[in-house]
Amino acid sequence: MSCTRIACLVLLLIAMTAGAAMAQDDVVIDFYFPSATANDAEGIFQRYADMFQEENPGITINSVFSGSYTDTRNTILTELQGGGAGPDVAVMLSIDLYSFAEEGYIVPAQSFIDAMEDGDAYVSDFFPALMANGVDEMGTVWSIPFQRSTPILYYNADLLAEAGYDAPPTNNTELVEIAQALTTDERDGLLVPVAGGFPIWMYQSFAIAYGRNIVSDDPTEVYFNTPEAVAAVEFVRSLGTDLGVGPAGGAAWGDTPVAFLAGQAAMIYHTTGNLSRILDGAEFEVGVWYLPSGPAGEDGSGYGSPTGGGNLYIFDDGSKSDEELDAIWKWVLFLSSPQIQSDWGATTGYIASNATAWETEPLASRAMEYPQYGVARDQLQYADKEFSSYATITIQGIINKTLESILTGESEDAQAAMDAAQAQIDGILAEYK
Amino acid sequence: MSNRSGGVLRYFASVTKTVIAIVFLIPLIFTLLVSLRPETEPVTKGNIFFGSELTFENFERAIAIAPWSLHYINSLIFVAGTLLVQLVTVTCAAYAFARMRFLGRDLLLMVILLQLMIPSGVLLVQNFRMINTLGLFDTRIALMIPYWGSAFGVLLLRQTFREVPIELEEAARIDGANLAQVIRHVYVTNAIPAYLAFALVSVSTHWNEFLWPFIITRSEAIRPLTLGLNKLIKTTDQGAFYGQLMAGTLIVIAPLVILFLLFQRQFVESFARSGIR
Amino acid sequence: MRAQSPRRSHLSVLQPYLLIAPTLILVLMFNVLPAIKTVYDSTHRPARGLNAAGKAPDYVGLQNFRDLFDEAHYMGTRFQRTLRNTIVFALATVVIGVPLGLLLALLLNHKQPLLGLWRFAVFYPSLLPLIGAASIWSFIFSDSIGLANAVLKSLGHPGLNWLGDRNLVLLSVIVVNIWKQAGYFMIFFLAGLQNIPRDIYESASLDGASDRQQFTALTLPLLRRTLLFVIVISFIFAFQTVEQLQALGEGGPNDSANLLLYLIFQNISERRNWGYVNAMTIVLIGVVLTFTIANFLLFERDESN
Repeated sequence: MSCTRIACLVLLLIAMTAGAAMAQDDVVIDFYFPSATANDAEGIFQRYADMFQEENPGITINSVFSGSYTDTRNTILTELQGGGAGPDVAVMLSIDLYSFAEEGYIVPAQSFIDAMEDGDAYVSDFFPALMANGVDEMGTVWSIPFQRSTPILYYNADLLAEAGYDAPPTNNTELVEIAQALTTDERDGLLVPVAGGFPIWMYQSFAIAYGRNIVSDDPTEVYFNTPEAVAAVEFVRSLGTDLGVGPAGGAAWGDTPVAFLAGQAAMIYHTTGNLSRILDGAEFEVGVWYLPSGPAGEDGSGYGSPTGGGNLYIFDDGSKSDEELDAIWKWVLFLSSPQIQSDWGATTGYIASNATAWETEPLASRAMEYPQYGVARDQLQYADKEFSSYATITIQGIINKTLESILTGESEDAQAAMDAAQAQIDGILAEYK
Repeated sequence: MSNRSGGVLRYFASVTKTVIAIVFLIPLIFTLLVSLRPETEPVTKGNIFFGSELTFENFERAIAIAPWSLHYINSLIFVAGTLLVQLVTVTCAAYAFARMRFLGRDLLLMVILLQLMIPSGVLLVQNFRMINTLGLFDTRIALMIPYWGSAFGVLLLRQTFREVPIELEEAARIDGANLAQVIRHVYVTNAIPAYLAFALVSVSTHWNEFLWPFIITRSEAIRPLTLGLNKLIKTTDQGAFYGQLMAGTLIVIAPLVILFLLFQRQFVESFARSGIR
Repeated sequence: MRAQSPRRSHLSVLQPYLLIAPTLILVLMFNVLPAIKTVYDSTHRPARGLNAAGKAPDYVGLQNFRDLFDEAHYMGTRFQRTLRNTIVFALATVVIGVPLGLLLALLLNHKQPLLGLWRFAVFYPSLLPLIGAASIWSFIFSDSIGLANAVLKSLGHPGLNWLGDRNLVLLSVIVVNIWKQAGYFMIFFLAGLQNIPRDIYESASLDGASDRQQFTALTLPLLRRTLLFVIVISFIFAFQTVEQLQALGEGGPNDSANLLLYLIFQNISERRNWGYVNAMTIVLIGVVLTFTIANFLLFERDESN
């Protein structure tokens, strides 16, 4: 009968482990972060956690690497929807606000800020453009900027100089001219990474440069079929077709910086989050400049870039104690402090999100040595809100698919494709009005 | 005549064989070459096979990204823990289905076979809920428990057990053997190739598993190798540094590849004798 | 054991059930119950709009399925395209991969120098984690810095956008799958071939049968069961393998290379789409179920012959 007995034992084992619970004295904060940087993000977060724990005995930070931004969002949603505990604090895209707020999984940072003595000073130290996606239409602050970025123009200054250009392009006309001059059989003049599933971010910078963002402060409105929106996607498509300065359909996100470092692309659009890696890896002079302005004008209104990157979110379904929430907010304050923002910005190239961080070491001297860091910061004055609305994931999916079908030539008539997409989007948003 | 056509055929066969083998090996060879190339020199730059120098930089970087030895241990525990329990549950059930008569036998077998038709991979959300209900989230048990019952194993061993002559069991019974002894000495000993084949399938499946561990675990302390590799793949969000990625891929795939290289004959033969066909 | 003492009989009635209980309970917990829940959920739709969180889902009958087959619906467009891709993907794997596996088995069945090396060369891909195999191929297929284009460029061709061109990306994914699976299929064929008694061939040779005659008259009929089995599992695998897409284009531009299970995976986290996710899961289970039952029937019939 030992066979049956073993079988029973297995069943018992299942039951026992199910009942096992862990005893814990410290307040433990589960902190999820995506791998957003090619550097050793885990090592960096471990260092921050050690610093924090030293200052705050009794609080333990449990840092969990959770994949890409998409993986992070999906795993957290799956976990919470499946009845799991989820994280206490997570770094997620700044545009994930409504996905989580709609479900009641997160709480606004506003109440913690209101309880601070110098709450106003804390908030006003952040660059306004970086706050845009963390605030809802009522003006309530939900999330705190952490690893923020914008797309910028990287250029191989040596190649430009060889061809007789001693300054980067400042508008689309110059951009095309220089890109064409630098395109050879071996090299692309300009890579705009719109291939690989997420064209919306790069595309948005063109839409803004053409004069109209596809979102506003109202999360129930999306403007995807305006003349500006259509003209912008047609321009991006032409880079790979008529103008012939890059691959048809656009470059892949991950390949773009590597091709640039290898000298196989003269100019690229990419995230400031890659600044450190590119500066450290390049064997030529790396230039960085604002994304060139579009038809909307060179007085600044035609410069366009969306913000991007991740914010700190606080998770609570109402069950957490004051002690826990207190510890959670301390960790958020710590990560968004000028001291950590300065260190994080200098190590990765993400834009340190508060002004004071730029006067704090190590970023202060890093920015002095490499003026490229300051360009990303200064471009923020022209930056606008990244795409975000109710039902963000679904609507963003519709926009991405539509852009891909236009950029790869499947939908020749951009206007018709965007009208159809707008109709689907309006149908979804009608549920929220 | 027959001889000459045989000669042509053999010549044609060895050419085909060589071409296919080379094509199949190219990815592995280049994985190795790229992992040893400086990162700033993709294959499109300079010599396609070798960069300006051989470097272990990529391996150093890949090793720094994840605690590989921990992942190795976790993968080993995962596959071993899965297999050991499977062997017990599968043997018990296979014996019952092969040699016992009981009410509802065919129906119950059909229920178990449903596992083959409803891949657990498509039931991720629902299974996640089940694990949470059991309070097992982020434990080693959660990784293994959905696989502890194996319809494939039951089917394979039931078939093998049926081919064991019933007289052997009867003889053992007369000698006073109890059920456990009968199963161990009569059936298990006569089904070793089938067990081996089952073990190979089970180990290679779970060693390579990604989605389920990804969803059901959070702690580095229990995560298997494939999740270390995923971390490398996801760093390509910031730039596809293939040298580092290929180095990490090699770290992950090396053990199974080397094991197969050493034991391929036994592997193929145990498959051939297992009754999997 | 059929002649047991009355004292033990009540125990021996329970015995078989105890023996199968662990397997049965686990299958019920992790396959059957979740599947039933999926059927139920596929006829429901989560509450949508403001303040929808916490509200119970609405019963919608077959509306989720109707939306999936509505070309103008945002999920319908994606589902139909993805279903088509999945079928093409499965067919291509079977039509190219299975004969390739058979060819390899025939080539590598006999004793020959370096046999182990040859077998290793074609079998090692199936040992790799899917995600590892995909990461290798993501490098080969990279547009600007990949191996395939490096070779094409050295031959004077401008290169192809393997993972970015909507007409190529499904092909790329199929190539990877065939490379990954052919060796695995070969193993089954090798097993089948080694179960064919050698003396059959010897007597056929003595009777003057040519190699080709031996193949069509002996090998193929004797491999029929193996062939059937491999075709069925290759179909079922094709519907279940998605992890490679994570590293290979994530479904391609506008879903041009997306596969059904991956589309499900992409949508499981947004609650508003759960009705569709469950409906798509039902379609997927339906397809796999059909193939498995077909397989089972063919085998049972075969066995009774």
